[in-house]
Amino acid sequence: MVATAIAFVVGAAGLAAWGLQLHSGMGVTGLQRPVFWGIYIVDFVFWIGISHAGTLISAILRLTGASWRKPVTRAAEAITVFALMIGGMFPIIHLGRAWRFYWLLPYPNSRLLWPNFRSPLLWDLTAIVTYVTGSVIYLYLPLIPDVAQLGEHNTPWRQKLYRLLSLGWTGSDREWHALERAMKLMACIILAVAVSVHTVVAWDFAMAIAPMWHSTIFGPYFVTGAIFSGIAALVLVMAILRQVLHLQVYLTKHHFDRLAKLLLLMSLLWCYFTLAENLTVWYGNDPKEMAVFGARTRAHYAPYFWSMMFLNFVVPFVLLGIRRLRTIATAAVASVAVLIGMWLERFIIVVPTLANPRLPAPSGFYTPTWVEAAITAATFAAMAMLYMIFAKLFPIIAVWEFKPHPQEED
Amino acid sequence: MSLYLIAEFREKERAAAAIRSLRAGGIAPADLDVFSEEPAEFPRGVLDRPSRMSLVAVTGAILFGTLATAFIWWTQHDYRLVTGGMPIFSLWATGVITFEMTMLGAIVSTFGWFLWESGLARRRDRSAPVPPIEPGSMCLRVRCRAADPNPTIEVLRHAGASDIQSRGEA
Repeated sequence: MVATAIAFVVGAAGLAAWGLQLHSGMGVTGLQRPVFWGIYIVDFVFWIGISHAGTLISAILRLTGASWRKPVTRAAEAITVFALMIGGMFPIIHLGRAWRFYWLLPYPNSRLLWPNFRSPLLWDLTAIVTYVTGSVIYLYLPLIPDVAQLGEHNTPWRQKLYRLLSLGWTGSDREWHALERAMKLMACIILAVAVSVHTVVAWDFAMAIAPMWHSTIFGPYFVTGAIFSGIAALVLVMAILRQVLHLQVYLTKHHFDRLAKLLLLMSLLWCYFTLAENLTVWYGNDPKEMAVFGARTRAHYAPYFWSMMFLNFVVPFVLLGIRRLRTIATAAVASVAVLIGMWLERFIIVVPTLANPRLPAPSGFYTPTWVEAAITAATFAAMAMLYMIFAKLFPIIAVWEFKPHPQEED
Repeated sequence: MSLYLIAEFREKERAAAAIRSLRAGGIAPADLDVFSEEPAEFPRGVLDRPSRMSLVAVTGAILFGTLATAFIWWTQHDYRLVTGGMPIFSLWATGVITFEMTMLGAIVSTFGWFLWESGLARRRDRSAPVPPIEPGSMCLRVRCRAADPNPTIEVLRHAGASDIQSRGEA
């Protein structure tokens, strides 16, 4: 109840802040020459990264036949759908004139001018639309047998809802066969889409000849970071669900141990990419790139950079690398650290490059205003709210998948 | 309305034996349905349900990808606008959208075919009874086309059905 009230208040404050921005214009944000991308774009990249929690992890574990995934997958898939919904809002908020977002849709405007499909912005739109569609279907498909069961014994309005969603599922072998085939195919497709989506987000930056953006490893670097933050989000959500919904029997230490090891692995991989990215810039010693490198590591943005390194590498390495310290609580703490660290990483990528442009223009600084902070906070509240509603309405563990098969028991 | 026999089995092997015997007796797989709380997986050859889902997914993917690429080609030539010194149309610049639309085609067609193949989106025989499933058991529904259902009942009983009910009329 308290959590719901807090989420509601923070969400309402964010809506009010966005209302102010729509009314007064982008002047209420901290965006100014030369930094035209601020924390809205940071939030966009962050949330799209979080969305890799579910679909990607669930699909990988499903295809590799990891049986321990069963109580984890739905929680992860739900994160994906909600994170995508939230992440997809940020380009619209960032537009300023949000009501013009439909200009991105492929129809000719009054001058018969079509959208420019060569623009990475259009690539983003198509990638996100595809990923949202795939993720919703990937969440919905294994939900069908569960909602069919829920529709049998429930309050009248819930029965109506569940029966509508179950599409008349009866549990026949034709339905099970089709479901299993569709899930396997969807897992293969969604893996490719998930990798492509964050690669496209990375190319939003890498296609610009801007210092420390124009990098060939940006695609895999972003995908690695996305999976890293996605696992952290999943561990945190699972730890909260385990406590709040008393799921100790289903979400065991074993599951957290496996996910903690995955998180540690991704931390090391992320660190390798970060090192590769920064070392080549330092060794190349290009003045324009060194200006950004210096801003990141020694000057204005250094506290963010070194905090990011501490939170993304040192904390997980110590808490999850040392076996005695690896518990559910420390996995949750490491996940919070990684989530903060990965948000800082997105900030470090977006802002210092724009503040030190390659073009002969004066450099500048960017500090977000309370409006941007309130909208950002509201998206976290929205995520919490959406997740609470989902967990209230639907089984957060796939019941039919998790139920031991009678033959297996024998 | 047809006559349906519903046999309950506690063990999957017995259900599989019943299906084998019924099929050997001339009952088509289309007249057999197994209802269970979890996916009922039988050995190959017992009750295979051939599927075209992969083919449909690939076809949908190719169709969407081709249409999207053709659409981009047409729109960019419809109003020629040079941006960033790039050609009006190039596969490099449209490759991402082609890929995403190809994947969208695969997703949509997979979901659509799932609805069709599972029977959820098809006009089904509403008179066919759907048995309630007890936890840990499975029900075999047989559509009896023969005038005399007794031989079928005997096969089911012999295979080890714990309960047999008949619904509808021959």
